[in-house]
Amino acid sequence: MSSSMVRYEESGTRVEEVKKQSPLRPWTNRTAHFKMVTALAALLPLLFIAVVYMMTEIPGAIVVVAIYLPLQIVAAVVAALLVGGKNSAADAVIIVLAIGATLLSVIIVFSILWSITIRGFEALSVAFLSQNNTYISPPTPLGYGGIAHAVLGTVLIVVIAMLVSVPIGIATAVYVTEVKGRFRNYVRFFIQAESGVPSVVAGLFILTILILTGVISQSALAGALAYSILMLPTVARTSEEVLKLIPDDLRTGALALGSTRARTVLRVVLPAARTGIITATILGIARVMGETAPLLLTALTNDKTVWNPIAEPIASLPTYIFFNVSLPFPSAVTRAWGAALVLMALVAIVFTAARYFGAKKFATN
Amino acid sequence: MPTGVDQQPRKLSTSTQFHRGDRIFNRLVTIAAFTSLFVLLGIATFLGSQMIPVIQEQGWSFFTTTEWTFTFNSADDEAKFGILGMMYGSILLAVIALVISVPVSILLAIFVVFLAPARVAKIMTNFIDLMAAIPSIIIGLWGLYVFQPVGVEWARILNEYLGWIPIFSMTSDNFIGSSFIAGWILAIMMIPIVTAVTREVLDRTPPDLVNAAESLGCSLWTMLRYVALPFGRGGLVGGVMLGLGRALGETVAVYFVLKLVFDINLFRILDSGGGSIATMIVAKFGEAGPKELQVLLASGFVLFIGTLVVNIIANYIVSRTGKLKS
Repeated sequence: MSSSMVRYEESGTRVEEVKKQSPLRPWTNRTAHFKMVTALAALLPLLFIAVVYMMTEIPGAIVVVAIYLPLQIVAAVVAALLVGGKNSAADAVIIVLAIGATLLSVIIVFSILWSITIRGFEALSVAFLSQNNTYISPPTPLGYGGIAHAVLGTVLIVVIAMLVSVPIGIATAVYVTEVKGRFRNYVRFFIQAESGVPSVVAGLFILTILILTGVISQSALAGALAYSILMLPTVARTSEEVLKLIPDDLRTGALALGSTRARTVLRVVLPAARTGIITATILGIARVMGETAPLLLTALTNDKTVWNPIAEPIASLPTYIFFNVSLPFPSAVTRAWGAALVLMALVAIVFTAARYFGAKKFATN
Repeated sequence: MPTGVDQQPRKLSTSTQFHRGDRIFNRLVTIAAFTSLFVLLGIATFLGSQMIPVIQEQGWSFFTTTEWTFTFNSADDEAKFGILGMMYGSILLAVIALVISVPVSILLAIFVVFLAPARVAKIMTNFIDLMAAIPSIIIGLWGLYVFQPVGVEWARILNEYLGWIPIFSMTSDNFIGSSFIAGWILAIMMIPIVTAVTREVLDRTPPDLVNAAESLGCSLWTMLRYVALPFGRGGLVGGVMLGLGRALGETVAVYFVLKLVFDINLFRILDSGGGSIATMIVAKFGEAGPKELQVLLASGFVLFIGTLVVNIIANYIVSRTGKLKS
């Protein structure tokens, strides 16, 4: 966003400089005096606790919560009283707390990413990425055995889940936006209700209707069906939003040329919404990728590489992590971290892809 | 007007006169659209039907006791299953997670919408989405190996200085596997959900109202207190409820950091041991015989109904707020 704009009167003389600002943030226009006082109010408490922390034995948590936070709030209130009126005191408290909350969440996320990167790299090797877990017992040193079978399993399960849930999800969205069926409000309601189904319940459901009854065994297909229950609401809701963005001119144009309803949807509307539907699919994949509980009930795990999606239990990254963490061997735990790093990398790829197609979608509209 | 031409106005085709292909298409799409209903009904009937034999055998003590005496080899009539402790534990965990995550999420949303410069706000919005995308098993792994030692330290400090408050008192010296730590993990998973909804709601505050408040001399706090927060209250409550639904159903992350105890640990949140229905199902599944499996399925039904109710209320509140605005 450009920072300033110069206006000219008809005579050509420059009259005023208006700072362009976000409409929701009128108070971001501030003077140099204000900035200086704010900087001091932010730096002094920080310096103080740095000294306290180094000079004394008080634990870090107490220093931050019991000394720094109150001190920072007092400093901010004093600064507010100096530069603003009485009313700014409450603002100062809000601002300090809001920045505190932001820092807390940033620290948490970076801590998570940092620890999986550092600990995950200990496990990474060519063997780790290319081998399976056959002939590997938990205490086997790192450098032997790997997660290729689990990556394959995750991909297999997610692809099958995609093949099941994406057509149904898109059809649901078409029912709501294109066919405009009589029950569309109910369908919306059911989709929303389904989005709240806990993942473990989805697993239990597939377990009861398909595995306990003997229709299929615990396998990639069973896991994928449990995943589909979780994916469907995401795909359906996102597709619905996407289809709503398609201009009506396309539909009326196609109908006016004599196209049938079905042909209009299949040949005109859906192709026009192509990137948006890809986004919906990717968001659905992102929703289920790391889900563990359904797979513990429906797909279990396996040490060898399994290609057949219906024959036998299959490994996947989440269950690989789950079972390795439960083992009392440091090498198994390190393997779990390695698998977590790979899983996070896959999630990051999917996430970035969603952003990429999402951005494209908004660029064309 | 030329003669021989039909004088009646021509009727446009209505929905009853669809092309044959269209009729098939409509029917297919309609069937697909009802999949979610079938899934919900299926879960309700198949898990619910497991409820009946469990209630017949255990009576209402299934809901009102905390006893869980069952081993693979024991005779069936000795088996006792009571999930009161687990239900209470789930709710206690959710409350702890709410207490931690709601203030953080609202403040974070206020930062993104009203305080941060546009570029930082955009980065933070993506950041919140990224936080939501971290798989729960990774948060659980991090919770077990990275957060737990820190959380134990916090718990020790709380107990040392605030131990006279009943909820921070201890009966043992074991801080590991407490509801407090599991509550933090759940809170970390709730923050992105609650923040995303809150941010969206606050972002829709009409700029005119905000500017009007400013020109009347309102400070940021007054504006929040009298304009933005009342305006977004419905969405805020709905967002919190959505997060709550997620917290009730979360399984593996809690499995890693919570020591499952069937007795009710009424309020000592720092003390080791707690309960969670979802986690209990996964923890007991591996060793369950047919009898116990039935009980686990019935517990799953209880969990399903609980989250369904929370989720429906949440969506109702959110959608009502949406309507007020448009």
